[in-house]
Amino acid sequence: MDRRVYFLAGDVLSNAVTGAATAWLAAAIVDSSWFMPAGMLAGMLAGMGLGLLMMPVFVGLFGAMEVMLPVMLTAMLSGMLSGMASAMQVPTIPLLLLAGGSIGILVLLLTYAIDAVLHSKAS
Amino acid sequence: MDTSTQKKWNFSAVFYDLLAWGAEQRWGPRKREFFSSMHGKVLFVAVGTGQDIPFFPPGRDIIGIDISPRMLAKARERAARYPGLLELRVMDIHALEFPDHSFDQVVTSCTLCSVPDPVAALIALRRVLKPGGELYMFEHTGSRVFPFNRMLDVMTPIWKPIGPEMNRDTVANVEKAGFKMQQVSNVYLDVVKTIIASAPEG
Repeated sequence: MDRRVYFLAGDVLSNAVTGAATAWLAAAIVDSSWFMPAGMLAGMLAGMGLGLLMMPVFVGLFGAMEVMLPVMLTAMLSGMLSGMASAMQVPTIPLLLLAGGSIGILVLLLTYAIDAVLHSKAS
Repeated sequence: MDTSTQKKWNFSAVFYDLLAWGAEQRWGPRKREFFSSMHGKVLFVAVGTGQDIPFFPPGRDIIGIDISPRMLAKARERAARYPGLLELRVMDIHALEFPDHSFDQVVTSCTLCSVPDPVAALIALRRVLKPGGELYMFEHTGSRVFPFNRMLDVMTPIWKPIGPEMNRDTVANVEKAGFKMQQVSNVYLDVVKTIIASAPEG
């Protein structure tokens, strides 16, 4: 496989899987009896924890900072939003996985965009 | 010799190649291009398990140092395949055993994130560089961009026991150590950078 395709696929896979997994974990912890801000915080912390556990696998396969930073951001955001949604109602598992994976892809696109801007500013 | 740092990197040597494979594959082409500027007598600092050696240009005269004998034991296999002069030595960057002005160029690769006192280490590197000699660095640093700066602050205490610090301002440290900055380029975000600086003339 071409090197660039391999790393692009790796970026997509690591962020989508992390987003889906952290969304599922946050929903498993938080339910509709939770106060929403507490659910968001718990979801974010759970996401960070799971993201840190998953990171070594993705880092070993696909790169260091290029993987760590978007994956960590995906884990935090996906966990937080899933925690918030779970505190308001009980989302279905397929919806959670889809939403978490989509958050991962959006975070990845955002980091690509910021990277492009910073490259153009490099001294 | 800083034995606590040595123990940390001896421990990390066990799994280092496994964790760093992706990064080396990803950064390899950029490192090969960056290291192609190696010239004269070169000091390569923190050679680790030697993952950078395949990216060295052939036919150069290089001394590679690392604080960890276990890391260097792995690096020796790669060094044996290098088509040039490459000597590996166990050495602490804070206590370099070279006379003043020994090298034309010092090259680092993900080094200044890991040494206990980065400014003191850079001053030591300046001492062994010839006047006007070049410092070439491929490093990851802290970020000025939110939320990456805060994330790197959070991740630093988690990774530090087995690996590097992630939020250092290495560009500022190079200037604090008395080098003259030549060029800073971003490789990924403002986190992975190439830095070129020179030791003062005379």
